Amino acid sequence: MNKYDVIVIGAGNGGLAAAVRVLMAGKSCLVCEKHNIPGGFVTSFVRGRFEFEASLHEFNGIGTPEQPGSTRQLFEQLGVADKIEWIQLKDAYHLISRKEGYDYVMPFGYEEFAKANNRIHPEGEKYIRDFFALCQQIRDAMEYLSVSKGKPDPQVMMEKYPDYLACSPYSVNEAFEALGYPKEIVDNLNSYWCYLGSDGNNLSFLHYANMIYSYYSKGAAIPKHRSHELSLAFEQRIHELGGDIWFNSEVTEILTDDSGHVCAVRLRDGRVIESRHVIADISPHVVYGRLMKPEAVPEKARRLTNYRKLAGRGFTVFLGLNKSAEELGIKDHNYFIYDTCDSVAQYEAMKKFGNTAAQATVCLNNADPQCSPPGTAILYMTTLFTDDVWSQVSDEEYFKMKNKVAKAMIERFEQATGTSIHDHIEEIAIATPQTYARYCGHPQGTIYGYESQYYDGLMNRIQMVEEDRCVDGLRIGGGFGERLLGYPSSYKSGYNEASRTLRDMEKEGC
Amino acid sequence: MTFKRSNNPGEDIKRGLEMPQKRRQLIAESPADIPVAVYGVNRLAASLHPGTLKAKITDKQPVGVDCWKITLKSLREDGSFPFFRAGQFVTLSSEVHDSFISRPYSIASSPKQARDGRLEIIVQKKGVFSSWLIDEARSGSIITVSEPSGDFCHDDIRDRGHVLAVAGGSGVTPFISMMKAIREGSEDFRLTLVYGVRTREHLLIDPADYQDERISIVPVLSDQQAEGYYNGFINADILSQFIEQDSSVFMCGPDAMYDFVTHELNKLGVTRIRRERNCVTDRRVDREEIYRLTVHIRDEVYALTARNDETVITALERAGIPAVVRCRSGVCGFCHSRLISGEYYLKPEDDFRRQADRKFGYIHPCCCYPLSDMEIEIPIFDL
Repeated sequence: MNKYDVIVIGAGNGGLAAAVRVLMAGKSCLVCEKHNIPGGFVTSFVRGRFEFEASLHEFNGIGTPEQPGSTRQLFEQLGVADKIEWIQLKDAYHLISRKEGYDYVMPFGYEEFAKANNRIHPEGEKYIRDFFALCQQIRDAMEYLSVSKGKPDPQVMMEKYPDYLACSPYSVNEAFEALGYPKEIVDNLNSYWCYLGSDGNNLSFLHYANMIYSYYSKGAAIPKHRSHELSLAFEQRIHELGGDIWFNSEVTEILTDDSGHVCAVRLRDGRVIESRHVIADISPHVVYGRLMKPEAVPEKARRLTNYRKLAGRGFTVFLGLNKSAEELGIKDHNYFIYDTCDSVAQYEAMKKFGNTAAQATVCLNNADPQCSPPGTAILYMTTLFTDDVWSQVSDEEYFKMKNKVAKAMIERFEQATGTSIHDHIEEIAIATPQTYARYCGHPQGTIYGYESQYYDGLMNRIQMVEEDRCVDGLRIGGGFGERLLGYPSSYKSGYNEASRTLRDMEKEGC
Repeated sequence: MTFKRSNNPGEDIKRGLEMPQKRRQLIAESPADIPVAVYGVNRLAASLHPGTLKAKITDKQPVGVDCWKITLKSLREDGSFPFFRAGQFVTLSSEVHDSFISRPYSIASSPKQARDGRLEIIVQKKGVFSSWLIDEARSGSIITVSEPSGDFCHDDIRDRGHVLAVAGGSGVTPFISMMKAIREGSEDFRLTLVYGVRTREHLLIDPADYQDERISIVPVLSDQQAEGYYNGFINADILSQFIEQDSSVFMCGPDAMYDFVTHELNKLGVTRIRRERNCVTDRRVDREEIYRLTVHIRDEVYALTARNDETVITALERAGIPAVVRCRSGVCGFCHSRLISGEYYLKPEDDFRRQADRKFGYIHPCCCYPLSDMEIEIPIFDL
């Protein structure tokens, strides 16, 4: 077929959710993916006896079938929920921070987490309950904003959600300063910063508070068969609905007609497929910088794209160990290992090679003991680079640099946890910014889309989403979209852009 | 609770309401140039992983017995191939008569030689593609070469400073690359190569060419007594003389050698062995069957036949369909395809699929044999 109602570029979370939404509305849809499998970063790979998870640490917003979280509800609506098996995680994280001397485990659960804070401060629980009350109001306000479809009643906002409005302009650091909590409590609450990768002076408090509230109070889960299970569940759903996914089929051009409206895409092999509506689950830098003829890129799109800041570039070490987690003394599922809890200092240190500022490390066996053969364990450690040091590396230096950075991370893990793993490495794989760039094409190997900046955070993006649209017939969603990075955000963003595309189509009378 | 940062009443909320205007202003002040589309990280990613390249055969030389060294130059202006890790392989693809065939070959040249435009492979004459390369392809013939792949490589985090390399026949090829890499400085480890061949005439390298204090080569001749050479199979006696307290063992050769040498190594208490996997080939069947194979590639549908003793990928190749395949041994996942219907046989030891692939019915056609009529969707070969 050479013509579709909608073409989706990229089979990442955003693209997959968008395609299902469009197909469920009865429109024809083609997904074009440059790789040979769906998912983008949401995938896994096999080395020897081990299947490594490529990106997921903890998925929030799933909840339980009885008390579904927002993403489970979205999955139910899209008809993929029944295709996925979940494993609930017990603990939120094991925080180890060198400078402050922290070394403790925090559980999931509203009550459990609140009480656990008494271990780090005599009145910890009190502060957490206060914080959770604020978070609940933020959550309620966001829910109200969502149902009022961008037209909230100012009176209602002022009366019911005054704290939401008052903290809305502030960064994480500004808001915590205003709240006046003790340092130990703030440091603990800051633990999740690396999941968004923007330092506390820039990261929007509303966004961060909403995310960590979801983690702490509702917990998190992982799919039983790695995140590849999620991507294949979506692919299967797309086939069920009569949609098409073409792999090894990179889109190299988005074509527009004389009026500037999208009219087709061109694939790498030259084939042209017509469509008046494209949903791109890729970065606007690629869309406007490479996929469109310069004269077809509106000035607004150029300025908006140049305004954005690329977020952290990913680096992950995957280890298959020939001893069990128990034998190695690795007790927890999720470790945050920091040199300091000061996210601004960490962010600064992560600009360079040679730092061990932050790593988020998962021992998968402590969530799913069956994830690797008996007597083995899977460990993966992720960090970010907050600047482009990797773009200076030459072809000849590349493999050595990879191992140098990986070695430092492994040593740091051993030292922080008092374990010894380096003699037990049976398989190793290392993903650098180059690896992420290779598979997903993201500029400089960013894994977090556009960084949450002071004025370019979640609320502003959501509020201005229609204003940010630059080309008729083109919607951009996924990790670079209005809800920023992360699993729940990218699915939701793709879903939203598909809904908007369907409204565009309705307006155009098709 | 009440959130308050400013002491001026209403100031916090006012500030919040002004945020979009501030963002609008910052966007308006940003440059109106076309966004940058070339990035250092992406450039290096594309340089190391170009997908496939077109290359020209520039030389063919017989080596040993029934083997040829084939030299390739890419069609890039400088003839270069990507820098790679010694021990990796490339997959060559070409039309061969009415078929379109792909085969993996370990790289014999060093990473720097490849970068400088010289990619060598060693081809043993035994199958359709090898015979075509040796007998029919000419100097100047153009073929498709994949980017270097695989992880049969020394890793200074996982592996020890000394590698005991056990090779059989043309299985010496990845170690040739490693020895060259050590000598040119792109790898840094010590290597002892215990190299089994039938006779001296079968040796594919001259140990004199690899003189280096970090390298030793120990030829073992199975079918010939010769002075200065070990005779027989590579057994525990021989291995025990060259294995160190802390060696990593790498092995590349035929499956029969793997079975024998693994047993011998186990006697020495060595169980951690890295083996390069061999291609999955035709299998023996009690009764030959021919099935219908329906293949979807994008919006095209092909109807062909498949034998129960050949892999699905072989059936595709015989029919001349350009099928994406790289390792031919089940591990790399490049041929990942959707099974729409039908039954297949897969040896458990060849099953390297992801768990979710099994759950949702995906296969690696390079190691599956049809057991009924089948319908599959395969990815397009991006030439």
